Amino acid sequence: MRRSVFLLLLFRGISAAARALRTVAGEQQSIGPALKLPLAPNSVRLAIIGDTGTGERPQFEVAQQMETFRRAFAFDFVLMLGDNIYGSKTPEDFKKKFERPYETLRTAGAKFYACLGNHDDTSERLYQPFNMGGQRYYTFKNGNVQFFALDSNYMDPAQLEWLDRQLSGSGAMWKICYFHHPLYSHGKFHGSDLDLRARLEPMLVKYKVDVVLNGHEHVYERVKPQQGIYYFVLGSSGELRPHNLNPSPDTEKGFDTDRAFGLIEIADDRFHFQIISRAGATVDSGVLQKSAAKS
Amino acid sequence: MSPATLLFGLSVFAQGDVNPQAAALQDFEKRIGEYVSLQKRLQKGLPSTKPTAEPQTILDGQHEFARKIREARSQAQQGSIFTPEISKEFHRLLGLARAGSNDAHIKKSLERAEPVRLTLHVNDAYPANIPLQSTPPTILMNLPRLPAGLEYRIAGHALVIRDTVANIIVDLIPDAIP
Repeated sequence: MRRSVFLLLLFRGISAAARALRTVAGEQQSIGPALKLPLAPNSVRLAIIGDTGTGERPQFEVAQQMETFRRAFAFDFVLMLGDNIYGSKTPEDFKKKFERPYETLRTAGAKFYACLGNHDDTSERLYQPFNMGGQRYYTFKNGNVQFFALDSNYMDPAQLEWLDRQLSGSGAMWKICYFHHPLYSHGKFHGSDLDLRARLEPMLVKYKVDVVLNGHEHVYERVKPQQGIYYFVLGSSGELRPHNLNPSPDTEKGFDTDRAFGLIEIADDRFHFQIISRAGATVDSGVLQKSAAKS
Repeated sequence: MSPATLLFGLSVFAQGDVNPQAAALQDFEKRIGEYVSLQKRLQKGLPSTKPTAEPQTILDGQHEFARKIREARSQAQQGSIFTPEISKEFHRLLGLARAGSNDAHIKKSLERAEPVRLTLHVNDAYPANIPLQSTPPTILMNLPRLPAGLEYRIAGHALVIRDTVANIIVDLIPDAIP
């Protein structure tokens, strides 16, 4: 029975003080724009943001921080974990809540790949800058990684069957699913979606999905591997519910005192991640190594 | 009872009485099929729904399609698809979906999906500024499948069929979810 398929490696030289960062809070953070990613040749480089579409100042400030880090880490694309446009959805809203905040990144060539949150309308699948190809759920490949964008608002049998076909036919070394509602979360406001977990998790386990990325909960949380799958919840790139994380023994790391975004670099059998606050502080980082059992 | 007797009994049942549950679902499929035919007919002449960088184009297409559907279904009322017989069968199916441990999962999922409180009517647009509550997958597994362009949604206690292209309410069962 496959259980622990990843080995979580801490970066070399990590200090005891830095280990204290594992506690949930934002009090202890390393300050500065230091990049903790290896910049390996031919790696897959991306950013992740969730629950962004407010159009308010914090969203712009996170976007500016992303621009700053992109100078050191030229990510090619950005995964949007849902709630891309809050509230009304007029053309002006698309400008205010998406186009203006990320204008510099988009002009520089970063592509955005969205999934739908509960505050999104299904018609957003037709908004070309979200690169959904007109579909509620879709997949794309980059290097040795295959991404599966799901619509967790409406996980109907047709979508589950589609996912089964896509995962079973995938030969990618890394399989990463992203969708809005977390299967595992210790946020006080929502928590885990148990019904979605009951239907979706068996398939993720069966096809050895490596990493799942979610939003919805307006905090950051990295959950200890569940049945061999790493879960990241990042729903605080625009919205935030301060002090809303109720850490459990399954919480590997959390951050709930400011907005955040994530950078990911996948190089061969290693998945490097760095979560960065609106102020530019690294609030979590590490590397997951794919075990032979999961390849 | 021997297998032969059982088969005979089934045969009589098949030729005589109509299973009311099957009849309700058959009627539901027929009504949904009629709606889909209407959708297809009205979509002719409208701009194609291809991805575009212009949100106004998406909105215009959605509004024009909704206008045509409202015009064609101006007489439609609550119950035009969910007749009393079909509603009764849906209540039964929803009860099956909530059986056993599923009930707790579904309840928690609904509680945590930012439940909405709004009163919807046939031909209403679903309000853009109100989140769409996610529909628990176990419920979707137990209801008849809908063709692309239609979906079930939970809105408060109501089970709603929404036209996802026109963003309008096709029909609803107001008290479907306890």
